[in-house]
Amino acid sequence: MRKNSSLLFILLIGLVIAAFIADLFTGNAPISLQEAWAALVGSSGDAIVDEIIRNYRFPKAVTAVVAGISLSASGLLMQTLFRNPLAGPDVLGVSAGAGLGVALLTLLSGTVVYPFVSSLGGMAQVIAAIAGAGLVLFLILGVSARIKDSVTILVLGMIFGYVASAVVTVLQSFADPDSLKVFVTWTFGSLGSVTWNKMPLLLAPVIPGIAMVFFLIKPLNSLLLGEHYAASTGLNIKRTRFIIIAIAAIVTGTVTAFTGPIAFVGVVIPHFARSLFGTVNHRTVLPATLLLGSLLMLVCDILSQVPIANRTLPINAVTALFGAPMIVWIVLKRKRL
Amino acid sequence: MYRKANRQIPALLLLLLVFVSTACNSRQREGGTSMLGDFISSEPIRYAEGFTIDHAEDYTRVTILNPWSNASDPYETYFLYRNDSILPLLPSEGVKLKTPLTSLAVNTFSYFSFLELLGEMDVISGVTDGFRIYHPGILEKIERGDIVDLGDPFQPDIERTMALKPQAVINSAYAQLDRYSERLLQAGFPVIYSLEWMETSPLARAEWIKLMAAFFDKREAGDSLFNAIEQEYLQLRDKVEAVDKKSVLAGDIFQDTWYVPGGNSFNATLFRDAGLDYRYQDNNESGSIGLDIESVLTQFGKSDIWFGCEAGTYAELVNKDAKYLLLQPVKNRKVYNNHNRTTPSGGNDYFESAIANPHFVLADLVKAAYPHLLPDYSFTYIKPLEELGAREKK
Repeated sequence: MRKNSSLLFILLIGLVIAAFIADLFTGNAPISLQEAWAALVGSSGDAIVDEIIRNYRFPKAVTAVVAGISLSASGLLMQTLFRNPLAGPDVLGVSAGAGLGVALLTLLSGTVVYPFVSSLGGMAQVIAAIAGAGLVLFLILGVSARIKDSVTILVLGMIFGYVASAVVTVLQSFADPDSLKVFVTWTFGSLGSVTWNKMPLLLAPVIPGIAMVFFLIKPLNSLLLGEHYAASTGLNIKRTRFIIIAIAAIVTGTVTAFTGPIAFVGVVIPHFARSLFGTVNHRTVLPATLLLGSLLMLVCDILSQVPIANRTLPINAVTALFGAPMIVWIVLKRKRL
Repeated sequence: MYRKANRQIPALLLLLLVFVSTACNSRQREGGTSMLGDFISSEPIRYAEGFTIDHAEDYTRVTILNPWSNASDPYETYFLYRNDSILPLLPSEGVKLKTPLTSLAVNTFSYFSFLELLGEMDVISGVTDGFRIYHPGILEKIERGDIVDLGDPFQPDIERTMALKPQAVINSAYAQLDRYSERLLQAGFPVIYSLEWMETSPLARAEWIKLMAAFFDKREAGDSLFNAIEQEYLQLRDKVEAVDKKSVLAGDIFQDTWYVPGGNSFNATLFRDAGLDYRYQDNNESGSIGLDIESVLTQFGKSDIWFGCEAGTYAELVNKDAKYLLLQPVKNRKVYNNHNRTTPSGGNDYFESAIANPHFVLADLVKAAYPHLLPDYSFTYIKPLEELGAREKK
């Protein structure tokens, strides 16, 4: 690794830590820095302040990091696998699948399925989203095990996504306005709904999933040169592809289940990492993507706290407003090349 | 080298899947509630089906029932006590609240009028959707900073709610626990669920004032307020018994679908009580029925009167869709909206005080359909459409 890269990495780690701390100190409750600090290291003397800092802002910041890491890593996997600069975690349709699960739950929960839904309590939405994402995951894995061509998998993944979205639209058209609003609120995305007791469930698939990506650095690098080349180096393309898709889908599906859909992070961050470090080597790009992903999510969470007309902005909108200009930049830059 | 890694990965992948499935299954079911004895009396609830109130010697039990469950399970149970000494004797489950309540975040507009009638407006410390509120007193307090606007009612600001330290939060309940209520409960803030909107008759909704009264130790006041409302409503209902019934159209078009009230809905009950003939009154639906414009024209084209139009003027209506002109109530200028008491920023008293004034809601309909029965009454919530808007008049 070049010296410059090491410095950049140190700088990025410092920025992530700084953003994490800034996120803990930012919010809409009138809490001073001293109070927030006291609540973090011991007790502020006010149970509500302690509750807000330790049990609301802290897990929210951790969720921002987890979501940033997961979505950007999945985006990187998808861009490398499909060799498509606009691929992101949602191209496999798992996010749309999660949306379908939540839509079914929200819009049907007042019907015969109610006793089952109520037995799940606060986990109902998460479980519905995981079930929806899981359904698409198994479809896409089934396809990837049978089909040789990666582009076909990409197309089918997107089609699964469209079908799931279409079913959601049909369900919405039957829904009453309140259920509709509950569902729409889910699509805004939210980092604040992962409480400490839900955190292990979020981390259980994500930590091993992301850890496994580090085992894939070399196969990913060979895939950059095309599947034929990668195959000639002895890589089992079908199996590697299956594993890449499984990790991306599981990690994206889990994060989407807990936070709702979060746009653009997964598409934009890998490009940022490549251009910042001036390399496509995953040995550098992967850790850079993870750091930049968490940094962006933390910054977006801080920005979303800025109240506009007494409302905080939906995190999904903040990432999109941030990410859209970057995508335009990527597209234009590619064209010039 | 990565051939080896490749061989390890399927095993790791399997491990990952096992992790996911066990993580999902690890959630435990919440415990049920236990029964209590020794209640001296139960509050007589005549219309509402969504709650019960039982009085013991030292405390009161308020149960909000679950409208989505067949077995009348409690959605939440509250034990209201006056002396701290009783606290250890209360059952372990349910929510314990010391009464009278002193501070409340109120996330549903319909509770403002209950609190006002009970003389408890000062307990409100937080509201949602402040700009859409009609109540001038609340608007003034928001302006002064005495009441905090917590934002979108579907996802109020959690930090600001907690910072207010309300004794309880009134929040709408849906068929599943929402993130906001869940988060507040975890932080130890009791949530009083607003489920009066599931009631299908105006008197049943108004009777929820008794539930609110219990949280302020104002049982007698709640009773007498409701009795007065009931009496006015029933007297009016009796007045229309002998009328020659007029037929009614309701609702309006939203994105090509005209939503009319189901036969078991709040509005259908209101139409029945106002002596109106409503085509879907024998239907069992308690929500809305979506109709296309063709069905509306064939089924309701010859109606005498139309309530719930969204437009302010006939000019606006026709401008929106010329098909409206095919409806008889439009031709005969018998169309009403609910915009009589509104603010420029979208506040509408119909969504606030109508729940506590079902007699005015009924009187509005009776006055519009049978004006001779209420010669001195002027509309509270509804308003006949004007010919032209202010701009066209110039």
